[in-house]
Amino acid sequence: MVTSCTDDEPIARVNPGEEVPNEPNPPETVPPPAGECESAASKPGRVTLHRLNRAEYNATVRDLLGDTTQPANDFPIDDHGYGFDNIADVLSLSPLLMEKYSTAAERLVNDAWTRGVFNTCALDPLNPAPCANEILSNFARRAWRRPVQQAEVDKLMTFVDLARQHADPPDAGVRLALRSVLVSPHFLFRVEKNAPPGSTEPYTLDNHELATRLSYFLWSSMPDDALFAAADAGKLSDPVEVEAQVRRMLADPKARALVENFAGQWLFTRALGTATPDATLYGAFNEELRAAMRTETELFFAEFVTGDHKLKDLIDAPFTYVNDALAAHYGLPLPGSPTHVRVELTGHPERSGIFGKGSLLTVTSNPDRTSPVQRGVWVLEQLLCSAPPPPPPDVENLPPPITPNMTMKERMALHRSAPACQGCHRLMDPLGLSMENFDPIGRWRLQEVSGAPVDATGDMPDGHILAGVGDTQRYLKEEPKLTNCMTEHMLTYATGRGIGEADHCAVKEIAGKAEARGGRLVDYVLSIVSSSHFTQRGAEEEQTP
Amino acid sequence: MSKKFRLSRRTVLRGTGALMALPLLEQMLPRTAHGAPGDVPRRLAVFYTPNGIHMQKWTPKTEGPMWELTPTLEPLAAVKNDLLVVSGLANMPAYPDGDGHHAAATGAFLSCAKVFKTEGTNLRVGISMDQVIANHLAASRATRYPSMELGIDAGRGIGNCDSGYACPYANNIAWSGPRTPVAKETSAQAAFDRLFAGGIPGETAAQIAKRRAYGKSIIDVVRDDATALQGQLGTADLQKLEEYFASVRELEKQVEDVTVPAATCAPGVAPPVTEDPTAKTKAMMDLIVLAFQCDLTRVATFMLANARANKVYPFLGLSGGHHTYSHHQKVQSNYDALATIDRWEVTLLQYLLERMKSVIEVNGMSLLDNSIVYFSSEVGDGDSHNHIDLPIILAGKGGGALTPGRHIRYQKDPLANLYIYLMQAMGVPNVTTFGDDGTGPLAGLV
Repeated sequence: MVTSCTDDEPIARVNPGEEVPNEPNPPETVPPPAGECESAASKPGRVTLHRLNRAEYNATVRDLLGDTTQPANDFPIDDHGYGFDNIADVLSLSPLLMEKYSTAAERLVNDAWTRGVFNTCALDPLNPAPCANEILSNFARRAWRRPVQQAEVDKLMTFVDLARQHADPPDAGVRLALRSVLVSPHFLFRVEKNAPPGSTEPYTLDNHELATRLSYFLWSSMPDDALFAAADAGKLSDPVEVEAQVRRMLADPKARALVENFAGQWLFTRALGTATPDATLYGAFNEELRAAMRTETELFFAEFVTGDHKLKDLIDAPFTYVNDALAAHYGLPLPGSPTHVRVELTGHPERSGIFGKGSLLTVTSNPDRTSPVQRGVWVLEQLLCSAPPPPPPDVENLPPPITPNMTMKERMALHRSAPACQGCHRLMDPLGLSMENFDPIGRWRLQEVSGAPVDATGDMPDGHILAGVGDTQRYLKEEPKLTNCMTEHMLTYATGRGIGEADHCAVKEIAGKAEARGGRLVDYVLSIVSSSHFTQRGAEEEQTP
Repeated sequence: MSKKFRLSRRTVLRGTGALMALPLLEQMLPRTAHGAPGDVPRRLAVFYTPNGIHMQKWTPKTEGPMWELTPTLEPLAAVKNDLLVVSGLANMPAYPDGDGHHAAATGAFLSCAKVFKTEGTNLRVGISMDQVIANHLAASRATRYPSMELGIDAGRGIGNCDSGYACPYANNIAWSGPRTPVAKETSAQAAFDRLFAGGIPGETAAQIAKRRAYGKSIIDVVRDDATALQGQLGTADLQKLEEYFASVRELEKQVEDVTVPAATCAPGVAPPVTEDPTAKTKAMMDLIVLAFQCDLTRVATFMLANARANKVYPFLGLSGGHHTYSHHQKVQSNYDALATIDRWEVTLLQYLLERMKSVIEVNGMSLLDNSIVYFSSEVGDGDSHNHIDLPIILAGKGGGALTPGRHIRYQKDPLANLYIYLMQAMGVPNVTTFGDDGTGPLAGLV
C-alpha cells in the first residue's frame, strides 16, 4: 500500500496521447537517434481557425478604433490549454459570447463614430456612396487584416440602402455596416486559407496571413500600418524584411503584450491575482506587495524583450526592479522610491533571476507553507518540459512533522518513502527543496516556522547536489533541455497550438538557431518566425482525424 | 407564453457598468410572477460544487420520510420538506484514464459521458442534460434564453488544469455538443445586464420593427461571410465555424424575439460588485430566481468554483485550500475543514431554496414547487475520488415531478438515469437513453 506520495498540489500533466504509466519511474524523454532530425520532413502542423481571445480582442479594438475600454473584460473567461489561453483548439464560441460580440460591436461603433474616428470624409446625404465606400473599404481591410474585394464592400454598402428604406440617414447605414464588420467571422477569427484541396504539400501563408501571425504573436493585436504596408508590397516573403519588422515590433510599447500574455502565463505571474497566503502566518503579504511583485516580474521580463540579455539568463540575471515596500520585504537596500527602480543585485545573488522573485515563489506555495513539489514541478514543466506523471491514485499528502522541529526536507523524505512515489519525487523534490530559503511569500529565511533551520539542499537523481538556489540556477543553465523547453513554450504561444512529439525536431532546430544567433529573446522570436512551423500550414492530410 | 419583458423605467441598461445604485433587489421584486393563469412552466437549476463532500456528515442515517438532518444538511432545516436527499447513485463514465478525476468527472457531471483525455486538441465530451432540455425548449422558443450558465470563479489562468485533462473540462459543466462547452458568466453584473438589456423604454412599435430589421440584416450578412468561408477551410476549422453558425442562429432568435414590451417583470437593481464568494454566489442565486420568475429562461446551471479549485476561504476560519483539504488522509482536522466548507455550500443552497420558496406564482404554488433544484459535486469523497456514492440533493416539487421530504438510497444506479428522469420531467420527448450508461428513467422519485 502506498502510504505517502503527493505533496498536496501537484500540477502534473501527461502529454497528449501518452499512456499514463503505471510504473513508478517517470517517462524519460527519449532523444531521437542521432541524425533523425536531419532527415525528418518538415511538418509545420496546422493551427485551427483561431478566435481572438479576450486580450487579443481588447488590443485589436484599441488599435482599430482607438477604444481603450477593454470591452472583452465582460466576455466569458477564455479556457486555456497547453499552458496558454490563446490555443485555437480550446477557444470555443458560444451563443453567450456571440451576444457579447454583437453588443460590443454596436457600442464600439457608436462610440467611435461620436469620437470622430470615421470623419475621414463627409457623407453627402444626396450621394453618400463615395464616402461610405471609402469608410467601409478602409475599415473592413484593417478589421479583417487583409485586402478586401469590391464585392465585399458592395455587400456592406447595402446597409446604406437599408437605412434609407427605413428613412434613416446614410450614417445609420454606415454604422450598421461597421457593426457587421466587427461580428463577421473575418474579424472574430484569424482566418488562414486551407491548402488547395488534394494538396499534400504544406501551404505557405500569404503575406497578410503572416503579418497577422506576427502581430498577434508579438502584440496580441492586429498589424499596424507599417506591417500592413510590408504585406501589401509582398515584402514579408523576404527574411530580411521580416527581421526588420520583428525588431521594430519588439521595440514598440505594444510588445508589452508579450510580458502580460506570454510571460504572465509561462512564468505563472497571472496566478498572483488569486494567491491567498495565510493571513495569520504570512500577514506581511498585502495588496501593495501583490502589486509590487507583479510589477517586478513584468519589468524584469520586459528587459528581455527589449534588452540584450540572453533568454536563459532569466534563470540568474543579476538585476531586478523593486520599490521600497518590496525591497524591505526582500531585505534589499531601500531604493527610496514608492515606484519600482532598477537595482543591481550585487551582494544579493539570491534575488537574481526568476527564482528570486516573489511572484513565482508565492504562486508555487501553499497558503500556509512552502511546497517544494509545486516549485519543483514548475521547474520541470516550465523550464525543462519534463513533466512528471501524476501521482498514483489514493496516495497521501505530506505528513505532519513527527517531531516539532522536523524540517521540510525531512518531511519530504518521509513523504516519498513509498517506492511508487520515489520515481517522480526524486526529480521534483530536490529542485523545490533547494528554494527552501524562500518562505511562501518569497522572503528569505534561515529558519522554518517551527524554528528548525532550513535545509535547502536537494540531491538530484543524476548525483548533482543542489545546495541552495544558486546551485539550481547553475544546474539549470547547463541543462540541455532548457533551450528546447523555452522554445516549446514560446512556439506554443506563437502558433496557438499544442506542441507535441511530432514537433520535436522543429523545436530542436529552432532552439539551436536561436542560440546560434545569440540566444536573446529576439533571437528566439526570429528563429520561430522564420521556421516553417510559423510560415506554413500543413496540408489537410497531416491532421489525424 | 411569457417571453416578453420590459425594463423598469428607472433603469436603462445599455452596455455595462452604467448601472446606478438602487434599493435592494428584494424590494423591487414582484411577489408573484406573471404569465397566463395555469400556465406555469417547470424550471431546472443545477448547483455544482467542486471537490466532493465529507459524506460522513452529509448522508442521513435513515431512509424514507422519517430521515433526520445531518450536521452538514442542518442549515436546510426550514426547507427540509422540500428536499429529496438521494444517495447511492454512480457516475461510472466520470472515471478518468489514469489521474484527472476532477476534470474528467466535471466534464461528465451533466453529460455522463467519458471525456477524451487531451490538453486541448480534439476535445470530446457528450452533450449535457441541461443542454438537451435547453434545445427542446429552444425549439419552441419558450424563453428568451434557452439556458443560463453562471459561476463565480474565473480561475487562476495559468498552468494545466488536471493531470492531462484540458481546462474546458474542468471549467464547464454545460456542453452544447461533444466539442463545445457553453461558457459561463462569472460576473453578476454582466449576467444581469444580459438578462435585462435589449429593450429601450418608450420605444414605439415602428422603432422596434426597424431595430429588428437592422439586426437581422447584420446577421444575414455575417452568415453569408461564414458560408463563403466554408469552402476555404479545413476540417478542424469547419468545426469552429460550426460554433459560429450555431451562435449566430441563437442571436438571430433573440433579434426576432425583440417585440413590443408588454409583460411586466421589473428587473430590480444591478447586483453588487463584489468578489466575496458568499455575496457573489447570493447575487447569482438572485439572478437565477429573477430569470425564472420573469421566465427569461427555464434552465440554469451554476458552478461554485471550477473543478479541483484550491480556493481558500478565510472567512470560514480556514487557511488551507479546498482541494488540499479534500485530500483529507482521514485526518480529523481536514474532515472538520471539509465539513465547514460543505456547510457553507449548503447554506448557499438554502439561500436559493428559500428565495424560490418565497416567490408565489400564478398557480398559487411557490417557484420552488414548480422547479427542480439539483445540487451535487463531481466526486463523493474527495480523497479517494469515488464516483459511486455521489452527494445529491433534489429540491422542489418540479410541478409534481418530485415527491420531496425523503431520503432515498439507490444501489449504484447510473446517475444518467436520474438525468433521463429530469429531462422527461422537463418535457423532453422520447429520451430513454443518455450518456454512456443511461438506460431509462430512475424510479422512485415521485
